[in-house]
Amino acid sequence: MNPLLAQFLAEAADLLTQVDEGLLQLERTPGDPELVNEVFRAAHTFKGSSGLFDFPELTKLTHAAEDLLDAVRAGELPLDSGMTDDLLATFDLIRGWLAYVTTEERLPSTAGADAASLIVRLRAPIGGEVVREAPTLSGPQAGDVAPAWLAYFDEEWLAETAAWLRTTSSQMRFIRYAPDSGCFFRAEDPLHLIRQVPALDRLNVIEPVEWPEAADYDEYACLVAFVCATRAGMGEIQYLFRYVVDQFELVDLDGDAIQRYLSGEIEIEVEPESGTAEKQDQKPSSSTDPALLADARAVLAASLKALALNPTNTCHLISLAKAITYAAHAFGDPVEIQEPDVVTLTATVTRLLGDTAEAVEDPVRTVVPLVAADEAPAAERRADDPGGQVGSRILKVDQEKVDHLMELVGELNVAKNGLTFLAGAAEEEFGSRALARRIKDQYSGLHRIAEELQASVMDIRMLPLSVAFSRFPRLVRDLSRRLGKNIELVLEGEDTMADKDVIEALADPLVHLVRNSLDHGIETSDERLASGKPTTARITLTAVADGDAVIVEIADDGRGVDPARVRRKAYEKGLISEEELETLSDVDAVDLVFRPGFSTAEQISDLSGRGVGMDAVRASVEKLGGTVTMRSELGIGTSTRLRLPLSMAVTQVMVVSVAGQRFGIPVDLVVETVRVPVDEMNRVLHQDVVVLRGEVIPVLDLARALDMPWIPDDNRDRAILIANVGGQRVGLLVEQFHREVDVILKPMEGLLAYADEFSGTALLGDGLVLLVLNMKEVLGLAARVG
Amino acid sequence: MPLELGEGTATLIGVVTVDEVEELAGWLRATTRPKVNLRRCNHLHTGAFQALLLFRPKVSAAPTDSFLAERVLPLLARQGSEPP
Repeated sequence: MNPLLAQFLAEAADLLTQVDEGLLQLERTPGDPELVNEVFRAAHTFKGSSGLFDFPELTKLTHAAEDLLDAVRAGELPLDSGMTDDLLATFDLIRGWLAYVTTEERLPSTAGADAASLIVRLRAPIGGEVVREAPTLSGPQAGDVAPAWLAYFDEEWLAETAAWLRTTSSQMRFIRYAPDSGCFFRAEDPLHLIRQVPALDRLNVIEPVEWPEAADYDEYACLVAFVCATRAGMGEIQYLFRYVVDQFELVDLDGDAIQRYLSGEIEIEVEPESGTAEKQDQKPSSSTDPALLADARAVLAASLKALALNPTNTCHLISLAKAITYAAHAFGDPVEIQEPDVVTLTATVTRLLGDTAEAVEDPVRTVVPLVAADEAPAAERRADDPGGQVGSRILKVDQEKVDHLMELVGELNVAKNGLTFLAGAAEEEFGSRALARRIKDQYSGLHRIAEELQASVMDIRMLPLSVAFSRFPRLVRDLSRRLGKNIELVLEGEDTMADKDVIEALADPLVHLVRNSLDHGIETSDERLASGKPTTARITLTAVADGDAVIVEIADDGRGVDPARVRRKAYEKGLISEEELETLSDVDAVDLVFRPGFSTAEQISDLSGRGVGMDAVRASVEKLGGTVTMRSELGIGTSTRLRLPLSMAVTQVMVVSVAGQRFGIPVDLVVETVRVPVDEMNRVLHQDVVVLRGEVIPVLDLARALDMPWIPDDNRDRAILIANVGGQRVGLLVEQFHREVDVILKPMEGLLAYADEFSGTALLGDGLVLLVLNMKEVLGLAARVG
Repeated sequence: MPLELGEGTATLIGVVTVDEVEELAGWLRATTRPKVNLRRCNHLHTGAFQALLLFRPKVSAAPTDSFLAERVLPLLARQGSEPP
């Protein structure tokens, strides 16, 4: 299966649970804006992700649900239990679909019909508008069943056509287009639409059963419907009728089907529609036709069901009343419904159904329950339906459990390290060298197991970067089409592994960077030609492992960042001083794009530039303990490099001590450790400095910064740890260097939360607690202490 | 002006849009034995078509537009509302 689809299914399972829970809670505490928001967001995410795949029904259905939730969210209408039922049914249906998708990788063929009735129900409370965005027609339904409305075609012509189609074994498209009565108000002109149908062979109009009196005639209500036969392509028809999908019916018929129809073996299609009366066959009265009677009965049965479903909506009632009038007319028992209300309608329908029960002879036709046919599958799928599973069979473990396992591994390491101390004690305190050796043997065995355990727990959390990359081919394709740019995406090193947290946290920054490249970096084809580049631009996404870090690079061969423009812009926005404007190097200038409040795009497009700038990218990467750098050459391209720790679970720290207290410093930051003779230390402007290979490096006294009682011994060389913090080198004066250790960093919580100068604590093998320094804060602290 | 409403004959010119529908329907309602001249009509809005279908005026001149002449006129000329 396409990994993107697999990921969607896995995420979908979570979203479905979230929506279910949210909806149920909402029923208990209606109107909780936070809950509504939560459910809305889940539905929204669903709609968004479903758009990536070729599941138009899913998108349409979630769109309807989203619209309803949006209205609820906006406080336009309260969520009643009927709506909750509809929403739950919607997501149950989706769950069923996704279970099907999991095995078949496509939606069930009944999806369109199942969705249609739900969409009508979902949209009923918000005015019943139809979907206007990205509608698609389901293909021709039941290719070999002739619909009843074939009667509107000239019989002679049908016979000729049937013969011709049989001879040539081809098919013809038949369309019935029944515009709803209010369509003129939506600036629709059905006749104009039909005019555009290519290769139109026959056109006929279905007039209303009964024209109103001239005085009552409302010229703005569309009363007519059309049938036509055409040889136009499926795509052409789908395009033309894309906005009126719900008012439109299409069948492909071959000669045999038409012949069957003509010889009387009519198999009338049952319309998968319950609530909309416009769809019902408006056949003129001829109460001897059994098929017509059956249709009329079906209409009545559907009306009864529809009445029970939605008894309050007035528009709905009026349209139902119309349908019932037509049906009654077909029975030769005309009824007049003046002011439709539930009671009269229900009574009328019950009476008609009772009266005509015997009149209908064809038993097959009588048992066609319109609504039941499409409701049954939806109703059957419930949360406890064992019928299928959404997503592949992956053991889903709560991340907390894995984290807990990781902690236990850490503690095991600590306990294991205790053995070396025990061995030392056995030898020194009890004088048993043999015992010490045996303890050490035990230790090495335990050590091996603990290492392996740690590796496999880490492995559980590791994912290949292809997970983060897989969404880009589609994203780039879609965006490049929208922008009219030719772009080739190259992915490299997708199988590089990194921690799940890292991969997940990487997603947003990456999307942002790629969009930025597409939108601002890559020029249009014309511009590229003018500057002598190939018209097809290239974006490269590369991942490489680099020790205990992973480097992800997004490179494009676009126009590059103009340092002069960036400087000017930053100055205009007050981000840099006039002096900096003059002196800033090009490399530093490019770095300015990461400053908060900086956005070079002159025009905010809908791709990037939504107020989430490059500063957000930098912030989120730094939160992961990574760095972002950008290199750019004007006219040649830009490359952005993200360096992230491979795993956030285990951190390698260098242990140093001051005044007997040990501290850890993340090894990533450590450049080198040096011992400098006291007389080589210099002082410039009240600041200790040391000159290393011609570079002046400021030296901070860690003891003073942390307010610890320690005066360096003048007779000993100074131990200075050179660290790279925010692109600058600083020296840290410490008492003693120790070894590097792998620790599991625990964040500072509770009583220690205020201590910003430490990024966390870790337990050492001998049971001591190690405080790990947050170098940025320590530098700030040192600057304040002076 | 797509509508020229005379004593007994309405001349429809060019594209008859939804804006003309009310006027046309009103004229048809008020006129006894109305006639319509469709010669220079290029398109009929469905609303106008429907009004012609209801009031069934005599078409005094057939449209030159091929779609209207071939597809729509036969529908208007047909007698009665039963399907063929």
